[in-house]
Amino acid sequence: MKKLLLTSAAVACLATGASAQTTIELQRFFGACDSDYGDNTDVSAAVGECGIITSLINDFQAQNPDITVDVTTVEWPGYDQLNAQLASRNAPDVVSMHYSVISDYTSRNLLEPLGDILSEQGIDTSTFTDAALAGVTKDGQIYALPFDNWTMLWHVNLNLMEEAGLLNDDGTPIVPGSTDEFFEQAAQFKEATGKPYLVQILANETAAYTRLFYTFLMQQGVDPFTDPNAVDLTTPEATAAAEFLKRIYDEGATTTDMDYPAAVAGFSGGDGGIGINGTWLIGDYAAQSQEEGNALSDGYTVYPLPQLFGAQDATYADGHGWAVPRDPRRSDEEVAAIGQLMAYLAENDGEWARTGHLPAVASVFETEEFQSLPHRDNIAEVAETGQSLNPEVRRQFAIQDIIGEELNSAVHGNKPVDEALSTAQQRINDLLASL
Amino acid sequence: MSATTPIQHGHSRTLFWIAVAVSVLMFAPMAWVLVLSFTDNEALSRGTEAAFTGPYTLKNYTDIAGNSGVFRWFVNSLIVGAGQTAGVLVLSSLAGYAFGRLEWPGRKVIFVIVLFGLAVPEQAVIIPRHQIFSTLDLHNTYIGLMLPGMSLPFGVFLMTQFFRAIPPEIDEAALLDNATRWRIFWKVLLPLTLPAQATLGIFTFLFAWNDYWWPLISATDKDMYTLTIGIASSQVNFAQTEGLGFLAAQAVFAALPVLIVYIIFQKHVVTAVSGGAVK
Repeated sequence: MKKLLLTSAAVACLATGASAQTTIELQRFFGACDSDYGDNTDVSAAVGECGIITSLINDFQAQNPDITVDVTTVEWPGYDQLNAQLASRNAPDVVSMHYSVISDYTSRNLLEPLGDILSEQGIDTSTFTDAALAGVTKDGQIYALPFDNWTMLWHVNLNLMEEAGLLNDDGTPIVPGSTDEFFEQAAQFKEATGKPYLVQILANETAAYTRLFYTFLMQQGVDPFTDPNAVDLTTPEATAAAEFLKRIYDEGATTTDMDYPAAVAGFSGGDGGIGINGTWLIGDYAAQSQEEGNALSDGYTVYPLPQLFGAQDATYADGHGWAVPRDPRRSDEEVAAIGQLMAYLAENDGEWARTGHLPAVASVFETEEFQSLPHRDNIAEVAETGQSLNPEVRRQFAIQDIIGEELNSAVHGNKPVDEALSTAQQRINDLLASL
Repeated sequence: MSATTPIQHGHSRTLFWIAVAVSVLMFAPMAWVLVLSFTDNEALSRGTEAAFTGPYTLKNYTDIAGNSGVFRWFVNSLIVGAGQTAGVLVLSSLAGYAFGRLEWPGRKVIFVIVLFGLAVPEQAVIIPRHQIFSTLDLHNTYIGLMLPGMSLPFGVFLMTQFFRAIPPEIDEAALLDNATRWRIFWKVLLPLTLPAQATLGIFTFLFAWNDYWWPLISATDKDMYTLTIGIASSQVNFAQTEGLGFLAAQAVFAALPVLIVYIIFQKHVVTAVSGGAVK
């Protein structure tokens, strides 16, 4: 009997050893698309954020049968859930995270520094673009695998620009080089087409205002957060940026009362010449331009936001990364599996770049695959000109809402610009002081 | 004598058309969502006028069914909704009987304390509640999802008012027949409150079914998602432009069970509300 028990135990041990499976929990936004990509491992066949990330994880598991990635999708951006998980000590192993919120977690020591994990996988952090690396680095430590950079762009309807006489001889659009040139072109555009120059998101939206505002401050060489715990918006540069946004509205150089979906559809429908919107729309607009019978047919291109203020060419940029919440119970096998996943995602950053986001791995810019993607060569410079806020600044999402709300009031004439900026400053500083 | 005068007839007709106009206004958004749910996403991304021109598709619904978690989330919502409703009905009936029919020391003070609960928003208690549930290891459990909704001051208030409105002679007659307090509650008074219970049950179920915030932070394991959390998690970024038809299909899918419950119990709701109005 004893012999039988020992034999059984040995068989059980062998069986366990043979099927040693490491499971890591990955939590992300980008949605669920199981019906289209639930079993797909051919990443090149996938399109869209959801399709590509789902296929990447499927392919990783197919290549690493000893690792199971248990994926949980959350509604964008998912930080309420993550906070709750951290509070109940139930956080996932890997989580999608915007660069701009990393400091909210590192300031509370909730994220694992990834330097060792990345180096053990042979990932050289110098291969990341400056913009991406700056986004995930806090106090000299890397707290997330950078996956992309995204920013607001200058989407151009070439058909309307041609009608307005705003094309160069080579067919490229004439891009304004100053605020004065901007208004000259806007007036010329309106006179020729009867339409506003810009298609902007001005309703039910705070992020778009703030991203433009940050960009115009950066172009003037101003960092409003030299002190990460207090903002200064009472500068002449802040006033100039806000006054510029207000003047665009006052002079009818923009569509009005459009929320996000209306602005996206409005640019598609030819409501204006320039759509101010994100990197993620390049694929959709490029596809429409290949079809006949719509406002963008054979007439779409895209550029970074032009340098309208004098000091430097700069664009506010954020990005998506993969962070690892601290968990002292995590085993060495799980840490190694996380590292393997990180290495796989970094290797396949070029696939992710098909979403429209800019690669975080610098070498992807040089690849044939990337360069063959529509319009990517136009916007590649964002990898150099893209800037994040001071990485020490916490609550950047909340700050974005405050600035957006106050700028909205100023642009629509509900408050003088100076009052809106001083109110924004007071609200932000109260928020930061309470942390 | 029952014939209406021309003026009364004119008033009825006006009221009828006002009712029709209000009904159309109420129904239009629902019809809009229904049409969107059958419209191709790509066409909608270029303008919502595609809802009138098509192309139409069932893909938005097959995409919902294709999500591996959706039926699990549906069952979770049913369990949480039914459990929470049962809990509220039991607790509110017992508490309502105690507050409305029994005399005991401190009754009024405790009733006022319960009513204070109506004035305390969920946001004010969410952090301590989350911590307590963490300590008790109740997150990602059905009981953890149901418990907060079971303490419903509105339910206690509603049932107390209904128990108070029942004539005291009924209790006295039962007491003369040597019925115990429990027997009076269970056999005599409780059946008289059925319309109120139907109303409270429907409201509780609707609240539980639609609840978003507490399941969002308590059910962080995807197998414990309720339907509201699950379908929200499956939305792609920028779904309002790239997946508008899918969003509408999700809304229809999530609303259907609630609509069915409401249609089945509609008579009880009307009875309870009209009964309350004439009291």
